[in-house]
Amino acid sequence: MEKDLETKFLSEFEENQNIAHKICRLYTTNKDAHNDLFQEITIQVWKNYPKFRGDSKFSTWMYRVALNTAISLYRKSTRRVKTQDISDFAYKIKATAYDDTEELQLKSLYKAVHQLNDIDKALIFLYLEDKPYKEISETLGISSVNARVKMNRAKEKLKNILNP
Amino acid sequence: MDLLDNYKKAWDNQPEEVHKFSTIEIYKLAHSKSSSIVKWIFIIGIVELAFWFGINLLIPDSIYKIYEDFNLETELKIFMVLHYVVIIIFLYFFYLNYKKISIVGNTKKLIQGIFKTRKTIKYYVYYNLAIAFLGSLVMNSVMLSDSDKLMEIMNPENLPVNVNQLITVTIISQIIALLIFMVLLWFFYKLLYGILLKKLNKNYKELAKLDSIN
Repeated sequence: MEKDLETKFLSEFEENQNIAHKICRLYTTNKDAHNDLFQEITIQVWKNYPKFRGDSKFSTWMYRVALNTAISLYRKSTRRVKTQDISDFAYKIKATAYDDTEELQLKSLYKAVHQLNDIDKALIFLYLEDKPYKEISETLGISSVNARVKMNRAKEKLKNILNP
Repeated sequence: MDLLDNYKKAWDNQPEEVHKFSTIEIYKLAHSKSSSIVKWIFIIGIVELAFWFGINLLIPDSIYKIYEDFNLETELKIFMVLHYVVIIIFLYFFYLNYKKISIVGNTKKLIQGIFKTRKTIKYYVYYNLAIAFLGSLVMNSVMLSDSDKLMEIMNPENLPVNVNQLITVTIISQIIALLIFMVLLWFFYKLLYGILLKKLNKNYKELAKLDSIN
């Protein structure tokens, strides 16, 4: 039984690991911090996996656990450097060459999101991932109306950073 | 079109993570307790060493008088130095084990690392028990081989006592003391390292299972 659970977890997590990677990119600015957060997310998802009832998709549930891990970790840590390690990050994006303007856009998007607070980061992430408000409110544990209000504020903040 | 919509397109088209984790790596991340267990074994080893050092410093010099009386002072010093060297070597092995298990490798290597740690701990406990036993055995045989001196020390006022009786009492009390000490020591190690080993064993079994699936 436990063996089955574990195998299932491993394959589902491996398939959906990009969710965790994207969150790590938003919440951290260097490779070490990225891997630390990724590890913490893995631990939390596995720890909570027995509670996952399967009434939603695994990915939906994983968004919730992973984001909450990032938010609580980000809150706890005061020592985490806030300034962006641009060289490290640029390297990461450069790894695959594609449309130049998109590449630049993505870079400035990340740069801008890094300046937001932990909750705004989560909201923007869910917006970028095209999540419906119902899911956003469930993921962050706030009401749908509240999610809408907060989302608009977060988007405004982001726009101001991107286009001052 | 909203300003953010442009960025959203860039977001959707962003490349996937270059360094993807394999299931084995994910397993290890999710169970990243193994290396922390070994780290604890290492830390406890150091604390234990400090503890015995501390006890040695706290023991009043009068205890060593008995060694002086039997002219065993140098032997005792040599023995102590050797003992601590061995313990430091063990600590070094614990540290090596810790390093090995912390590095992300394949399952086989991790299993080997855990297996090695278990072995090191086993030898460490055996060594400590054996040294406690041998130490007191040597000490007692030296003491009992020189019955005149033993009489002198145990009976300074020169009271009329039977030598044989005194020796018998000494032997019996020494054996009882040694037994109690050994049992206490055994419990101490069993409890301390046993708990850590049990967790390590569990990880080992899970890993072995996973390895057989893949």
